[in-house]
Amino acid sequence: MTYDYHEPETLAEALDLLAKYGEDAHLVAGATAFTLLWRQGLLRPGHVVGLRRIASLGGITTAGAGLAVGATVTHREAERSADVRRYCPALTRTFASVATVRVRNQATLGGNLAHADPAQDPPPMLIALGAEVVAASKTGERRLPVEELFTDFFTTTLGREEIITSVRFPALAPGTRATYVKFLPQTADDYATVSVAATLRLATDGTVADVRVALGAAGPTPIRARSVENALRGAWPDAARVGEAAATVDVDIAPFDDVRGSAAYKREMARVWTARALTSLVERGA
Amino acid sequence: MKLSHTALVRAPRARVWKLITDLPTAARCVPGVAAVTPSPGGGYKGSLLVQLGPVRLVLDGDVALTATDETAGKATVRADAKDSRLGGTVRATMDLALIDKGADTELRITSDVQIAGRIGEFGQPVIQRKADQLMSQFAECLARTLA
Repeated sequence: MTYDYHEPETLAEALDLLAKYGEDAHLVAGATAFTLLWRQGLLRPGHVVGLRRIASLGGITTAGAGLAVGATVTHREAERSADVRRYCPALTRTFASVATVRVRNQATLGGNLAHADPAQDPPPMLIALGAEVVAASKTGERRLPVEELFTDFFTTTLGREEIITSVRFPALAPGTRATYVKFLPQTADDYATVSVAATLRLATDGTVADVRVALGAAGPTPIRARSVENALRGAWPDAARVGEAAATVDVDIAPFDDVRGSAAYKREMARVWTARALTSLVERGA
Repeated sequence: MKLSHTALVRAPRARVWKLITDLPTAARCVPGVAAVTPSPGGGYKGSLLVQLGPVRLVLDGDVALTATDETAGKATVRADAKDSRLGGTVRATMDLALIDKGADTELRITSDVQIAGRIGEFGQPVIQRKADQLMSQFAECLARTLA
Protein backbone atom coordinates (compact mmCIF):
# COMPACT_ATOMS: atom_id res chain seq x y z
CA MET A 1 0.00 0.00 0.00
CA THR A 2 1.44 3.37 -0.98
CA TYR A 3 0.37 6.97 -1.31
CA ASP A 4 1.78 10.03 -3.01
CA TYR A 5 3.25 12.46 -0.49
CA HIS A 6 2.97 16.18 -1.24
CA GLU A 7 4.82 18.92 0.62
CA PRO A 8 3.40 22.29 -0.41
CA GLU A 9 5.26 25.43 0.69
CA THR A 10 2.29 27.76 0.79
CA LEU A 11 -1.22 27.55 2.16
CA ALA A 12 -2.62 28.27 -1.32
CA GLU A 13 -0.78 25.24 -2.75
CA ALA A 14 -2.10 23.05 0.05
CA LEU A 15 -5.67 24.23 -0.57
CA ASP A 16 -5.19 23.53 -4.31
CA LEU A 17 -4.11 19.96 -3.52
CA LEU A 18 -7.17 19.42 -1.32
CA ALA A 19 -9.41 20.71 -4.11
CA LYS A 20 -7.64 18.57 -6.70
CA TYR A 21 -7.68 15.24 -4.85
CA GLY A 22 -10.88 15.67 -2.81
CA GLU A 23 -11.77 12.64 -0.69
CA ASP A 24 -8.57 10.86 -1.77
CA ALA A 25 -6.43 13.45 0.07
CA HIS A 26 -5.49 13.38 3.75
CA LEU A 27 -3.81 16.28 5.59
CA VAL A 28 -0.99 15.65 8.05
CA ALA A 29 1.32 17.86 10.09
CA GLY A 30 3.23 15.72 12.62
CA ALA A 31 1.39 12.65 11.23
CA THR A 32 1.29 10.92 14.64
CA ALA A 33 -2.43 10.09 14.46
CA PHE A 34 -2.33 9.41 10.72
CA THR A 35 0.54 6.95 11.03
CA LEU A 36 -1.32 4.88 13.63
CA LEU A 37 -4.52 4.77 11.58
CA TRP A 38 -2.59 4.01 8.40
CA ARG A 39 -0.60 1.19 9.99
CA GLN A 40 -3.84 -0.26 11.35
CA GLY A 41 -5.13 -0.19 7.80
CA LEU A 42 -8.01 2.12 8.62
CA LEU A 43 -6.91 4.93 6.31
CA ARG A 44 -5.91 4.34 2.70
CA PRO A 45 -5.68 7.75 1.02
CA GLY A 46 -4.06 8.03 -2.40
CA HIS A 47 -2.54 11.42 -1.52
CA VAL A 48 -1.12 12.71 1.74
CA VAL A 49 -0.51 16.44 2.05
CA GLY A 50 2.16 17.37 4.61
CA LEU A 51 1.87 20.89 6.05
CA ARG A 52 5.17 21.22 7.90
CA ARG A 53 6.97 23.19 5.17
CA ILE A 54 4.36 25.96 5.12
CA ALA A 55 6.08 28.72 7.09
CA SER A 56 2.90 30.71 7.72
CA LEU A 57 1.43 27.81 9.74
CA GLY A 58 4.30 27.81 12.23
CA GLY A 59 5.45 30.05 15.04
CA ILE A 60 4.13 31.45 18.28
CA THR A 61 3.41 35.16 18.43
CA THR A 62 2.05 37.48 21.08
CA ALA A 63 -0.79 39.74 20.05
CA GLY A 64 -1.30 42.40 22.71
CA ALA A 65 -1.85 40.40 25.87
CA GLY A 66 -3.13 37.46 23.83
CA LEU A 67 -1.30 34.71 21.98
CA ALA A 68 -1.37 33.07 18.57
CA VAL A 69 -0.01 29.56 18.12
CA GLY A 70 0.49 28.29 14.57
CA ALA A 71 -1.16 25.04 13.54
CA THR A 72 2.12 23.21 12.91
CA VAL A 73 3.70 24.22 16.23
CA THR A 74 4.58 21.01 18.05
CA HIS A 75 3.49 20.33 21.62
CA ARG A 76 7.17 20.44 22.60
CA GLU A 77 7.70 23.88 21.02
CA ALA A 78 4.64 25.18 22.86
CA GLU A 79 5.77 23.57 26.11
CA ARG A 80 9.19 25.31 25.85
CA SER A 81 7.92 28.67 24.64
CA ALA A 82 8.58 31.64 26.93
CA ASP A 83 5.58 33.40 25.34
CA VAL A 84 3.27 30.52 26.24
CA ARG A 85 4.60 30.44 29.81
CA ARG A 86 4.17 34.22 30.19
CA TYR A 87 0.65 33.99 28.83
CA CYS A 88 -0.45 31.15 31.13
CA PRO A 89 1.84 28.72 33.00
CA ALA A 90 -1.02 26.18 33.19
CA LEU A 91 -1.04 26.08 29.38
CA THR A 92 2.68 25.23 29.45
CA ARG A 93 1.97 22.44 31.93
CA THR A 94 -0.85 21.15 29.75
CA PHE A 95 1.41 20.78 26.72
CA ALA A 96 4.09 19.22 28.96
CA SER A 97 1.60 16.58 30.15
CA VAL A 98 0.92 15.18 26.67
CA ALA A 99 2.14 11.58 26.24
CA THR A 100 5.96 11.46 25.99
CA VAL A 101 8.72 13.80 24.74
CA ARG A 102 8.99 11.77 21.52
CA VAL A 103 5.32 12.27 20.79
CA ARG A 104 5.43 15.95 21.81
CA ASN A 105 8.37 16.54 19.46
CA GLN A 106 6.29 15.31 16.56
CA ALA A 107 2.60 15.99 17.24
CA THR A 108 1.28 19.46 16.41
CA LEU A 109 -1.47 21.60 17.90
CA GLY A 110 -3.40 21.81 14.62
CA GLY A 111 -3.16 18.06 14.13
CA ASN A 112 -4.32 17.46 17.67
CA LEU A 113 -7.43 19.56 17.12
CA ALA A 114 -8.24 18.12 13.68
CA HIS A 115 -7.87 14.54 14.97
CA ALA A 116 -10.56 15.30 17.57
CA ASP A 117 -9.79 12.48 19.96
CA PRO A 118 -11.90 13.32 23.05
CA ALA A 119 -9.14 12.22 25.44
CA GLN A 120 -6.43 14.60 24.20
CA ASP A 121 -4.99 17.05 26.75
CA PRO A 122 -4.85 20.49 25.09
CA PRO A 123 -8.52 20.90 24.00
CA PRO A 124 -10.04 21.23 27.52
CA MET A 125 -7.40 23.82 28.48
CA LEU A 126 -7.96 25.70 25.22
CA ILE A 127 -11.71 25.74 25.91
CA ALA A 128 -11.20 26.95 29.49
CA LEU A 129 -8.98 29.78 28.20
CA GLY A 130 -11.59 30.81 25.59
CA ALA A 131 -9.29 30.06 22.63
CA GLU A 132 -10.48 30.17 19.02
CA VAL A 133 -9.49 28.04 16.04
CA VAL A 134 -8.73 29.82 12.77
CA ALA A 135 -9.51 27.76 9.65
CA ALA A 136 -8.76 28.76 6.07
CA SER A 137 -10.33 27.65 2.81
CA LYS A 138 -10.33 28.97 -0.74
CA THR A 139 -13.30 31.15 0.16
CA GLY A 140 -11.60 32.84 3.12
CA GLU A 141 -11.00 32.38 6.80
CA ARG A 142 -13.27 31.71 9.75
CA ARG A 143 -12.80 31.67 13.49
CA LEU A 144 -14.70 29.54 15.89
CA PRO A 145 -14.45 28.82 19.63
CA VAL A 146 -12.55 25.58 20.24
CA GLU A 147 -15.60 24.00 21.93
CA GLU A 148 -17.57 24.46 18.69
CA LEU A 149 -14.97 22.61 16.60
CA PHE A 150 -15.84 19.11 17.84
CA THR A 151 -19.04 17.26 16.96
CA ASP A 152 -18.35 13.60 17.72
CA PHE A 153 -15.60 11.02 18.18
CA PHE A 154 -12.80 12.02 15.77
CA THR A 155 -15.20 14.39 14.00
CA THR A 156 -15.09 18.16 13.61
CA THR A 157 -17.05 20.90 11.85
CA LEU A 158 -14.09 21.42 9.49
CA GLY A 159 -15.00 21.13 5.83
CA ARG A 160 -13.06 18.80 3.54
CA GLU A 161 -11.33 21.80 1.96
CA GLU A 162 -10.50 23.66 5.18
CA ILE A 163 -7.14 23.78 6.96
CA ILE A 164 -6.57 24.88 10.56
CA THR A 165 -4.03 27.72 10.40
CA SER A 166 -3.68 28.80 14.04
CA VAL A 167 -5.19 28.98 17.50
CA ARG A 168 -5.85 32.41 19.01
CA PHE A 169 -5.85 32.90 22.76
CA PRO A 170 -7.58 36.03 24.12
CA ALA A 171 -6.00 38.37 26.66
CA LEU A 172 -6.81 37.03 30.11
CA ALA A 173 -8.36 39.41 32.64
CA PRO A 174 -5.87 40.29 35.40
CA GLY A 175 -6.11 37.85 38.30
CA THR A 176 -7.27 34.93 36.15
CA ARG A 177 -6.07 31.62 37.60
CA ALA A 178 -5.85 28.46 35.51
CA THR A 179 -5.18 24.78 36.01
CA TYR A 180 -5.23 21.47 34.14
CA VAL A 181 -5.46 18.18 36.02
CA LYS A 182 -5.66 14.68 34.64
CA PHE A 183 -6.49 11.43 36.38
CA LEU A 184 -3.96 8.78 35.34
CA PRO A 185 -4.52 5.61 37.38
CA GLN A 186 -2.32 3.50 35.10
CA THR A 187 0.80 5.10 33.59
CA ALA A 188 2.04 8.68 33.31
CA ASP A 189 1.95 8.64 29.51
CA ASP A 190 -1.52 7.12 29.21
CA TYR A 191 -4.64 8.92 28.06
CA ALA A 192 -6.52 10.34 31.02
CA THR A 193 -9.45 8.50 32.59
CA VAL A 194 -10.87 12.00 32.92
CA SER A 195 -9.17 15.39 32.73
CA VAL A 196 -10.31 18.81 33.87
CA ALA A 197 -9.19 22.29 32.84
CA ALA A 198 -10.48 25.36 34.63
CA THR A 199 -9.96 29.11 34.78
CA LEU A 200 -11.25 31.25 37.63
CA ARG A 201 -11.24 34.92 38.53
CA LEU A 202 -12.46 36.30 41.83
CA ALA A 203 -14.07 39.71 42.30
CA THR A 204 -12.70 42.06 44.96
CA ASP A 205 -15.41 40.87 47.38
CA GLY A 206 -14.22 37.28 47.01
CA THR A 207 -17.12 36.02 44.88
CA VAL A 208 -16.54 34.28 41.56
CA ALA A 209 -16.42 36.91 38.82
CA ASP A 210 -15.70 34.45 36.03
CA VAL A 211 -15.14 30.74 35.67
CA ARG A 212 -14.75 28.32 32.77
CA VAL A 213 -14.49 24.54 33.11
CA ALA A 214 -13.90 21.90 30.43
CA LEU A 215 -13.33 18.15 30.56
CA GLY A 216 -11.52 15.63 28.42
CA ALA A 217 -12.29 11.89 28.11
CA ALA A 218 -15.75 12.49 29.55
CA GLY A 219 -17.77 12.00 26.36
CA PRO A 220 -17.46 11.79 22.58
CA THR A 221 -15.90 15.28 22.44
CA PRO A 222 -14.06 17.58 24.85
CA ILE A 223 -16.91 19.09 26.88
CA ARG A 224 -17.42 22.55 28.34
CA ALA A 225 -19.07 22.15 31.75
CA ARG A 226 -21.51 25.03 31.65
CA SER A 227 -23.60 23.68 34.55
CA VAL A 228 -20.57 23.85 36.83
CA GLU A 229 -19.77 27.37 35.62
CA ASN A 230 -23.36 28.55 36.18
CA ALA A 231 -23.47 27.02 39.66
CA LEU A 232 -20.34 28.93 40.68
CA ARG A 233 -20.48 32.26 38.86
CA GLY A 234 -21.39 35.08 41.27
CA ALA A 235 -21.19 32.74 44.26
CA TRP A 236 -18.95 32.72 47.29
CA PRO A 237 -16.65 29.75 46.53
CA ASP A 238 -16.48 28.03 49.92
CA ALA A 239 -15.87 24.28 50.07
CA ALA A 240 -19.59 23.43 50.16
CA ARG A 241 -20.42 25.58 47.14
CA VAL A 242 -17.46 24.24 45.15
CA GLY A 243 -18.56 20.69 45.98
CA GLU A 244 -22.14 21.40 44.90
CA ALA A 245 -20.98 23.05 41.69
CA ALA A 246 -18.62 20.16 40.88
CA ALA A 247 -21.48 17.68 41.34
CA THR A 248 -23.43 19.38 38.54
CA VAL A 249 -20.76 18.19 36.07
CA ASP A 250 -22.86 15.03 35.83
CA VAL A 251 -25.35 16.88 33.61
CA ASP A 252 -22.69 18.07 31.19
CA ILE A 253 -20.79 14.86 30.53
CA ALA A 254 -21.53 11.65 28.61
CA PRO A 255 -18.74 9.17 29.44
CA PHE A 256 -18.59 5.60 28.12
CA ASP A 257 -17.19 2.30 29.34
CA ASP A 258 -13.67 1.48 28.16
CA VAL A 259 -10.38 0.07 29.45
CA ARG A 260 -9.87 3.19 31.59
CA GLY A 261 -13.07 2.67 33.55
CA SER A 262 -16.81 2.26 33.44
CA ALA A 263 -19.05 5.19 32.58
CA ALA A 264 -20.27 5.27 36.21
CA TYR A 265 -16.70 5.39 37.54
CA LYS A 266 -15.77 8.19 35.14
CA ARG A 267 -18.83 10.18 36.27
CA GLU A 268 -17.63 9.91 39.85
CA MET A 269 -14.05 10.78 38.90
CA ALA A 270 -15.26 13.76 36.84
CA ARG A 271 -16.96 15.14 39.95
CA VAL A 272 -13.93 14.49 42.17
CA TRP A 273 -11.40 15.98 39.77
CA THR A 274 -13.59 18.97 38.92
CA ALA A 275 -13.81 19.72 42.65
CA ARG A 276 -10.03 19.32 43.02
CA ALA A 277 -9.31 21.64 40.09
CA LEU A 278 -11.67 24.34 41.35
CA THR A 279 -10.49 24.02 44.96
CA SER A 280 -6.86 24.44 43.90
CA LEU A 281 -7.77 27.64 42.03
CA VAL A 282 -9.79 29.09 44.92
CA GLU A 283 -7.07 28.34 47.45
CA ARG A 284 -4.17 29.46 45.29
CA GLY A 285 -4.44 33.21 45.90
CA ALA A 286 -4.20 35.69 43.05
CA MET B 1 -21.61 -6.92 20.69
CA LYS B 2 -25.24 -6.67 21.80
CA LEU B 3 -27.10 -3.49 21.04
CA SER B 4 -30.66 -2.55 21.80
CA HIS B 5 -32.71 0.35 20.56
CA THR B 6 -36.28 1.45 21.11
CA ALA B 7 -38.20 4.06 19.13
CA LEU B 8 -41.78 5.23 19.05
CA VAL B 9 -43.22 5.43 15.54
CA ARG B 10 -46.37 7.51 15.26
CA ALA B 11 -48.31 5.07 13.09
CA PRO B 12 -50.42 1.95 13.77
CA ARG B 13 -48.70 -1.41 14.03
CA ALA B 14 -50.02 -2.87 10.79
CA ARG B 15 -48.54 -0.03 8.73
CA VAL B 16 -45.18 -0.17 10.51
CA TRP B 17 -45.10 -3.95 9.97
CA LYS B 18 -45.72 -3.57 6.25
CA LEU B 19 -42.89 -1.06 5.95
CA ILE B 20 -40.21 -2.81 7.97
CA THR B 21 -40.79 -6.17 6.27
CA ASP B 22 -40.36 -4.54 2.86
CA LEU B 23 -36.55 -4.45 3.07
CA PRO B 24 -35.76 -2.33 -0.02
CA THR B 25 -38.21 0.35 1.17
CA ALA B 26 -37.16 0.16 4.82
CA ALA B 27 -33.49 0.34 3.76
CA ARG B 28 -34.12 3.77 2.24
CA CYS B 29 -34.50 4.92 5.83
CA VAL B 30 -30.99 3.81 6.82
CA PRO B 31 -28.62 6.76 6.26
CA GLY B 32 -25.77 5.82 3.91
CA VAL B 33 -27.48 2.91 2.18
CA ALA B 34 -26.98 2.75 -1.57
CA ALA B 35 -29.23 0.77 -3.95
CA VAL B 36 -30.70 -2.43 -2.54
CA THR B 37 -31.33 -5.03 -5.24
CA PRO B 38 -32.83 -8.55 -5.09
CA SER B 39 -30.30 -11.39 -5.03
CA PRO B 40 -30.90 -14.93 -6.38
CA GLY B 41 -31.11 -16.50 -2.92
CA GLY B 42 -34.25 -14.55 -2.02
CA GLY B 43 -32.54 -11.81 -0.02
CA TYR B 44 -31.06 -8.55 -1.18
CA LYS B 45 -27.66 -7.11 -1.99
CA GLY B 46 -26.85 -3.67 -0.70
CA SER B 47 -24.14 -1.28 0.30
CA LEU B 48 -23.82 0.91 3.39
CA LEU B 49 -21.45 3.87 3.65
CA VAL B 50 -20.41 4.70 7.22
CA GLN B 51 -18.14 7.60 8.12
CA LEU B 52 -16.28 7.14 11.41
CA GLY B 53 -14.24 10.30 11.83
CA PRO B 54 -11.60 10.26 9.08
CA VAL B 55 -12.40 6.65 8.17
CA ARG B 56 -14.93 5.75 5.49
CA LEU B 57 -16.31 2.25 5.52
CA VAL B 58 -18.10 0.86 2.50
CA LEU B 59 -19.91 -2.26 3.65
CA ASP B 60 -21.10 -4.41 0.73
CA GLY B 61 -23.18 -7.44 1.50
CA ASP B 62 -26.38 -9.37 1.79
CA VAL B 63 -29.41 -8.70 3.88
CA ALA B 64 -32.44 -10.94 4.31
CA LEU B 65 -35.53 -11.43 6.42
CA THR B 66 -34.89 -14.81 8.03
CA ALA B 67 -38.05 -15.07 10.15
CA THR B 68 -41.37 -13.27 10.38
CA ASP B 69 -44.34 -13.66 12.69
CA GLU B 70 -46.91 -11.00 11.88
CA THR B 71 -49.29 -12.05 14.68
CA ALA B 72 -46.59 -11.62 17.30
CA GLY B 73 -45.18 -8.58 15.46
CA LYS B 74 -41.70 -10.11 15.33
CA ALA B 75 -39.16 -10.38 12.55
CA THR B 76 -35.49 -11.23 12.24
CA VAL B 77 -33.13 -9.59 9.79
CA ARG B 78 -29.72 -11.04 9.02
CA ALA B 79 -26.99 -8.93 7.43
CA ASP B 80 -23.52 -10.04 6.29
CA ALA B 81 -21.23 -7.39 4.88
CA LYS B 82 -17.59 -6.70 4.31
CA ASP B 83 -15.39 -3.75 3.55
CA SER B 84 -12.99 -5.10 0.96
CA ARG B 85 -10.82 -1.97 0.77
CA LEU B 86 -9.98 -1.71 4.48
CA GLY B 87 -10.56 -5.35 5.35
CA GLY B 88 -13.16 -6.37 7.83
CA THR B 89 -16.54 -7.94 8.15
CA VAL B 90 -19.74 -7.12 9.96
CA ARG B 91 -22.36 -9.76 10.72
CA ALA B 92 -25.56 -8.69 12.38
CA THR B 93 -28.69 -10.46 13.49
CA MET B 94 -31.42 -7.97 14.31
CA ASP B 95 -34.58 -9.05 16.13
CA LEU B 96 -37.37 -6.59 15.50
CA ALA B 97 -40.44 -6.42 17.71
CA LEU B 98 -43.46 -4.18 17.22
CA ILE B 99 -45.54 -3.36 20.27
CA ASP B 100 -49.00 -1.89 19.84
CA LYS B 101 -49.34 1.47 21.62
CA GLY B 102 -52.78 2.52 20.43
CA ALA B 103 -52.32 4.90 17.51
CA ASP B 104 -48.53 4.52 17.81
CA THR B 105 -46.14 1.59 17.63
CA GLU B 106 -43.06 0.91 19.69
CA LEU B 107 -40.24 -0.54 17.63
CA ARG B 108 -37.68 -2.55 19.58
CA ILE B 109 -34.53 -3.67 17.82
CA THR B 110 -32.17 -6.07 19.58
CA SER B 111 -29.00 -6.63 17.59
CA ASP B 112 -26.15 -9.05 17.94
CA VAL B 113 -23.29 -7.59 15.92
CA GLN B 114 -20.01 -9.38 15.25
CA ILE B 115 -17.22 -7.25 13.88
CA ALA B 116 -13.99 -8.76 12.64
CA GLY B 117 -10.86 -7.32 11.11
CA ARG B 118 -9.69 -3.74 11.05
CA ILE B 119 -13.11 -2.21 11.58
CA GLY B 120 -12.96 -3.60 15.12
CA GLU B 121 -9.94 -1.36 15.90
CA PHE B 122 -12.36 1.46 16.63
CA GLY B 123 -13.59 -0.12 19.81
CA GLN B 124 -17.05 -0.58 21.18
CA PRO B 125 -17.86 2.99 22.35
CA VAL B 126 -17.32 4.46 18.89
CA ILE B 127 -19.19 1.65 17.12
CA GLN B 128 -22.04 1.72 19.64
CA ARG B 129 -22.47 5.47 19.22
CA LYS B 130 -22.52 5.16 15.43
CA ALA B 131 -25.11 2.36 15.69
CA ASP B 132 -27.21 4.53 18.03
CA GLN B 133 -27.11 7.39 15.53
CA LEU B 134 -28.06 5.11 12.62
CA MET B 135 -30.93 3.57 14.57
CA SER B 136 -32.39 6.87 15.75
CA GLN B 137 -32.21 8.31 12.22
CA PHE B 138 -33.81 5.09 10.93
CA ALA B 139 -36.70 5.40 13.40
CA GLU B 140 -37.23 9.10 12.63
CA CYS B 141 -37.27 8.32 8.93
CA LEU B 142 -39.81 5.48 9.43
CA ALA B 143 -42.04 7.89 11.32
CA ARG B 144 -41.73 10.51 8.55
CA THR B 145 -42.42 7.94 5.84
CA LEU B 146 -45.60 6.77 7.58
CA ALA B 147 -46.83 10.22 8.58
